[in-house]
Amino acid sequence: MTKATPRFGRTELPDRQADVLKASIRIQWATLAFLVITIVLVYLVLGNSQAMKAAWIEDLLSLAPPLAFLIAVRIVNRTPTMGNPYGFHRSVGVAHLVAGVALFVMGAYLIVDSASGLLSAEHPPIGSVELFGNVIWLGWLMMGVMALTIPLPIYFGHRKMALAKELHDKVLYADADMNKADWQTAVGSIVGVAGIGIGWWWADAAAAIFIASSIVRDGVKNVRAAVTDLMDSRATTFDDGKPHPLGRRVVDEVRALRWVDDAGVRLRDQGHVFHAEVFVVPRRGKVSLSELEDARDRLIALDWKLQDVVLVPVEQLPEEVGGSLHDHQSERNR
Amino acid sequence: MSKSPGSVAVALIAVALLSGCGISIPADPDGTLERVTGGELRVGVTESVPWTEIEGGGDPTGTEVDLVEEFAENIDADIEWSEGGEADLVYRLERGELDLVIGGFTDTTPWTSKAAMTQPYAESTNPEGKTAKHVMLTPMGENAFLVRLERFLLEGEGEQ
Repeated sequence: MTKATPRFGRTELPDRQADVLKASIRIQWATLAFLVITIVLVYLVLGNSQAMKAAWIEDLLSLAPPLAFLIAVRIVNRTPTMGNPYGFHRSVGVAHLVAGVALFVMGAYLIVDSASGLLSAEHPPIGSVELFGNVIWLGWLMMGVMALTIPLPIYFGHRKMALAKELHDKVLYADADMNKADWQTAVGSIVGVAGIGIGWWWADAAAAIFIASSIVRDGVKNVRAAVTDLMDSRATTFDDGKPHPLGRRVVDEVRALRWVDDAGVRLRDQGHVFHAEVFVVPRRGKVSLSELEDARDRLIALDWKLQDVVLVPVEQLPEEVGGSLHDHQSERNR
Repeated sequence: MSKSPGSVAVALIAVALLSGCGISIPADPDGTLERVTGGELRVGVTESVPWTEIEGGGDPTGTEVDLVEEFAENIDADIEWSEGGEADLVYRLERGELDLVIGGFTDTTPWTSKAAMTQPYAESTNPEGKTAKHVMLTPMGENAFLVRLERFLLEGEGEQ
């Protein structure tokens, strides 16, 4: 664990990614500081508004992704050991899953809680508060505090989105996505409290349901993404938009070698880096150790994300990496 | 992203317009303050000396009773007293049959899901030496009435 060179496992990061990592760590600390201040402020004006409660809980839960990120970048730093031969990259996926489940459960609870308040026609009481010797309606303070929490998360979100792409970090991406949508929560609770203000008792619970459903949506999105990665699905781009182009490049690189007849790859997304199992069909069934070593070095040099490259010389490609004979890697040779 | 500060501005302008249109904020969903102002204030009282004291026949007395009478005068209302136990009075408050319930309630009252309590307006020390903060109970969500009463209790006067 040297401090000098930032690394993910055995991968020393290129300068550019190392800078991005540093910037990401800084912005996550800034997010944490902002959230702690927001949580305290909102707690002070919480009152009896269900919408405010929902917004407050969402703020509490938003602590999880930055915390998960900051812990994960420390853990993935460790090099693989006998006990953990694949390294510690999956800590990112675990953190991602935990955050997603927390969001989903809390959001679902808030929907039930708010809906029951709406159905039993609970009229939320919001009284006054003494501020600098003046007695004012607490609702004004609530709306003021929520309005204050709008601009920064939008900035954080956009900034983190760019960093997440560069680092190929899905936790950071999910976090950025949530930050970008966070203003809706604030506006939702402002509308809810304003509704109470003009005598619409139902506006508060309705706003809370709106906020809670956005929390549930975040939860589902995060759980799905985390499970996809933990299931070793095909590696995708950071936003799960399309298959990651690196798979194609690996196959092209290997196929271009003179001794190679055909090649296919299983690429798994470990969090930041990819582990690759490259199946190679050697021409005339022959390959030397030095040719394999050379191919491996070429692949590692392709991209910083590519690490733990395993080359498997085979007679035929398994079907899952593009073979045509319905053989699978999990079956014995005929 | 430029939408967001905009929508807040819109929300605030909407609120400002509404308040400009004569809707005062906060408002009562069931119009309690409007009804009792210059009308009848229905107050439930349960005995808790010295805050409230009920003597056979006449109107109740006590420090809280005095405060409520002063508040009623302030909003030009006539008081109709009802006596009863806490559970009965809170039940009637919930059903909209009472506007205010007093009787030595403190901010640790278990009735908070059925009644809206005011800000503490007085403190006392109980026999174990703990401080008790005294509140009154109003109907849930009748925020204009609640804020008006709190303003009276906290500022010691109620003139706007």
